This record gives sequence, structure tokens and C-alpha cells, in this order.
Amino acid sequence: MTSAEKNKKATFWQIAKAVSWAFFGVRKQSDLDMDASNLTPKQVIIGGLIGATLFVLTLILLVKVVTN
Amino acid sequence: MAAVHDHDVAHAHDHHPSGMMRWMMTTNHKDIGTMYLWFSFIMFLTGGVMALTIRAELFQPGLQIVNPEFFNQLTTMHGLIMIFGAIMPAFVGFANWQIPMMIGAPDMAFARMNNWSFWLLPPAALLLLSSFFVPGGAPAGGWTIYPPLSVQMGMGMDMAIFAIHIMGASSIMGSINIITTILNMRAPGMTLMKMPMFVWTWLITAYLLVLVMPVLAGAVTMLLTDRNFGTNFFNAAGGGDPVMFQHIFWFFGHPEVYIMILPAFGIVSEVIPTFARKPLFGYSSMVYATASIAILSCIVWAHHMFTAGMPVTGQLFFMYATMLIAVPTGVKVFNWTATMWRGSMTFETPMLFAIGFIFLFTLGGFSGVICAVVPIDIQVQDTYYVIAHFHYVLVSGALFGIFSGAYYWLPKWTGHMYDETLGKVHFWLTMIFFNLTFFVQHFLGLAGMPRRIPDYALQFADFNMISSIGAFGFGLSQLLFLYVVLKCIRGGAKAPAKTWEGGKTLEWTLPSPAPYHSFETPPVVR
Repeated sequence: MTSAEKNKKATFWQIAKAVSWAFFGVRKQSDLDMDASNLTPKQVIIGGLIGATLFVLTLILLVKVVTN
Repeated sequence: MAAVHDHDVAHAHDHHPSGMMRWMMTTNHKDIGTMYLWFSFIMFLTGGVMALTIRAELFQPGLQIVNPEFFNQLTTMHGLIMIFGAIMPAFVGFANWQIPMMIGAPDMAFARMNNWSFWLLPPAALLLLSSFFVPGGAPAGGWTIYPPLSVQMGMGMDMAIFAIHIMGASSIMGSINIITTILNMRAPGMTLMKMPMFVWTWLITAYLLVLVMPVLAGAVTMLLTDRNFGTNFFNAAGGGDPVMFQHIFWFFGHPEVYIMILPAFGIVSEVIPTFARKPLFGYSSMVYATASIAILSCIVWAHHMFTAGMPVTGQLFFMYATMLIAVPTGVKVFNWTATMWRGSMTFETPMLFAIGFIFLFTLGGFSGVICAVVPIDIQVQDTYYVIAHFHYVLVSGALFGIFSGAYYWLPKWTGHMYDETLGKVHFWLTMIFFNLTFFVQHFLGLAGMPRRIPDYALQFADFNMISSIGAFGFGLSQLLFLYVVLKCIRGGAKAPAKTWEGGKTLEWTLPSPAPYHSFETPPVVR
């Protein structure tokens, strides 16, 4: 990882990726290093809340499909 | 300049009160940690005696030893005391001792509040225990204190409510202290992603505590006003809803399960790399899995209430969400196993308890997944299957984690090695008697034996007898633990600073016993 890559601002996609992997509970060490240097706690918490909402909505959708 | 400063600080701190006042007034994280640990052990024995009385009554069918009203008080108080008095304070004790030493901080962030957090606990415990002696006796509706029973009981219930309030306040203060310490007082160079796993798991646990303890306080406050001030939050006759209590209670109660298990995950994640002499496999995955478990734990609460009446869509939602928790938990179990894979393993007592933890906690996790399946849960709800499940999670999970951590850090705390042979005997006795007590309860539950009953049908007799024999063996084995700890405090082989060859965290750079004030000059972590 170059230093330019290390310190650039996190994109929405990068936050989404970190949060999705967090839900699965697995993360590559190199990706983690990148997350640690690029993401701020605020971004992670907001990303986590959005992720949790999406997760709940997906489950509700799945339940609706199953019960119909 | 630095040396002069160090000397002055050491001099200024030498004059701390002695005798009882030392413990009453202390703001030292090590003293407070010690008090938390002793308090939790006393509560563990208290709750244990209640458990043994329950098992003595259940040794044979029929009523022999206690009357049914008292039996119900025992089951309720056993649960409350073990959860709020034994397991939670034990982990806070570990946090107090270890977090500052593991992050290279001199003490906890709010040292005086730390003293208060601890000293709130003994009065709360006294309040809770003295409810046995008031008219109507102790709460007897189960540790979940569901209305309408909890609205109808005597003043013992009010005492329990106040005790829960006080213990909740203590927990919230402890958590704020832990969060602040971890976020602000790490040694230079120790980034979040370099923190030991135990510190990570406690950080996430502390956030969970801050989130859910106020919810419990709200629930019991509503109970209190329903009981004493004419409100009808949970009284159906007055337009309230008793099922609402269950929702609010379990919104606290399920994360509470993870509050009791995540620090044990942290301890095991320290012990296994040390005795496998390999770094923790998938450290980053472990952090992410812990966070994931914490988030998921907040959206699964109603799996405790599948039989309380819920639309099928609700049942399916909570069933799916619950089963998904198995994924990050599985990640952790695989990571611990992978850490041991091809390591140079030795099997000292902490490692034995850690391996016992992985083996038995996984069993408890599996029976949890089984309970998550709605049609099965409707069958096993309120049976001994559930009792077996959560004792596999909380005894062979949380308690084994506590034992593992206690043996692991005892040399650092006391400066002496504990008796390894006795430690191993303690492990094997605990392991054998634990399974004897609780494994058969799966069979009892599947055969339909309900929980919280002092008498039972004849077909359950044999397994109950086995379970009771196991319980007495288990209980007596814990006296051996007490003996090992006392022996270790009084003397033994001198423990070196780095007690365990594979110990990599900062506390192993300090002498054993750890000095009263450690890391006044922060270490630099590279």
C-alpha cells in the first residue's frame, strides 16, 4: 500500500465495504489497515447504523416474501 | 528531569491509608479490581448455595427440603445474583486490573467514580439478599421478573427493583469509565487496531452496557410505579400490556447475554495465543466479528418470547436474525481453533479452561441455534432444555472464561505462581461435574420437564438424580479454586515479570506482582 493510498479520504463505497465485511465478521489484514488509516469512527458508526437498518429491512422483505 | 518527576510521584503516592480505610477510600484500579473480584466470588458462592439447595430439592421427586414458595424464591435469586452479582462484577474486576496495564495507562480515567461504582455494589447486594427476610419473601417470579407476578408480589420485589437500579447505575458508571480509559489513555503508538483483544471486547461490551442498562432501569421503574403509584403500564385491566414488559426487558436481556460473554471471548483470545505461542489468527476478523455480534444482539430480543403471542412475520424475523448470529460467532470459534493449529501448545490451567470454553461454549451455541428455530422453541420453551442451553453459555462460557483469566493473571496480581497441579485438578473436576450436571438437562428438557418446579413426574427421576450429584461435585470443586487462590496469595514460587513465555501484551513488561502504580511514564508501543 502506498502512502498516498493510505491517507486518502474514504469513499462511500469503502465505508460500505468495511461495514458489510464487519457484519460477516471477517476482514483481510491489508484491508483492515486501510480502514484503520482512512475511516473515522464517525463514518464507521453512521455506516454501521445504515448497515443495520438495511439489514433489518432486508430481513423484513425476506419474511414478507416467505409469508406470501 | 523525568527521573526526578518519577521519584516525586512515587513519594507522593506512598502515603495511602492502610487497613480498612485503604479499601474504602482507594482510587487505585488494582485495589478496586481486587474488590470487584472478591465481591463476585462471594456472590458466586451465595448464588451457588442457592443452586445447590435447588438441586438438593430436585434430587428426588416429591417435596423434601424446601417449600414451593421458597423454591421459587431460590430460582429467581440464583439467577439475579449470578448475573448481576457474580459474572458481571467479575468481568469489571478483570477490566479494572487489566485494561490500564494492557494499554499502558497509569489508572482508570475516573478513579474516584471507579471507587463509587464498586462501593454501590455491596449495598445493592445486601438489599437484594435481605429481601428473603421481609414479609412475602424474596422475588419469586423468575429472574426475568415478568408482570403480572412481579406486580403482585410483596415488598421483596421493591427491594429487588432498587437493587437493580443501583447495580445498573454502577454498571453504567463502570462502562463510561472503561470507554473513556480505552479511548483516551492508550500508550503512545497503541492505535485502536493494536489493542489487545481483551481491551477490544471490553470496549464493545461497555458500549452495549451503556445502551441497555438504562432500558432495564426504565422497565423496572415502570414496574415500580405500577406496584406503588397506580400506573398501568403492564396491567391489562388498566389498559396496559404485560407483553410490553417482555419486549422492553429482553431488549436489555439479550444484549446482556453478550455483555456476559464478550469479555470471556476477550480473555480466551489472550490465553490461546499465549499458550499456542502464535499470534491470534485473524485479529482483524475477531474485532469485526465482536462488533457484528454486538450489533446483531440488539435485533434478536423477541426470540425469548416466541410463545408469548407474536405474528408469524415477527417469529420469522427474529428466527432469521438469531440464526445469523451464529456466523460471526462461528468466525471466532474458527479463529481460536486456527490459532492453535500447528502451535507449540502447552496445557497449563488457563489454557485448559480456554479449550474447555471453546468446546463447551460451542455446544451451548449450537443448542442456541436449535432454540432459535420457532417450531422447536415452542416445544422446548420453559423446559430444562433451555436451562441446559444457557448454563452451557454462561457457566462453561462466561465462568470458564473467568477461571481461565484468573489463573492466567494470578501470578501477575500476586507475584506468586499458583499450584499448577491443583489448578489442573480444579479444571478436570469442574469439567466433569459441569457436564454431569447440565448435559442430562438437555434430555430432561426434550422429555418435557418444565423449569422452575420443585417437584416433578417420576419419569424424570434418574436424570435429576445424576444432575444433582453433578451439581454438588461442581459446587464443592469451586472450594478448591478458593484454596488455590488463597495459597497463591500467601506464597509460592516467585513469578517472573513475564510469567508465560508466549505473553506478548504490556502487562508482562511489568514486574510481578505489578507495582501499586504502574506506567506512570507511558511505554511506547511500536
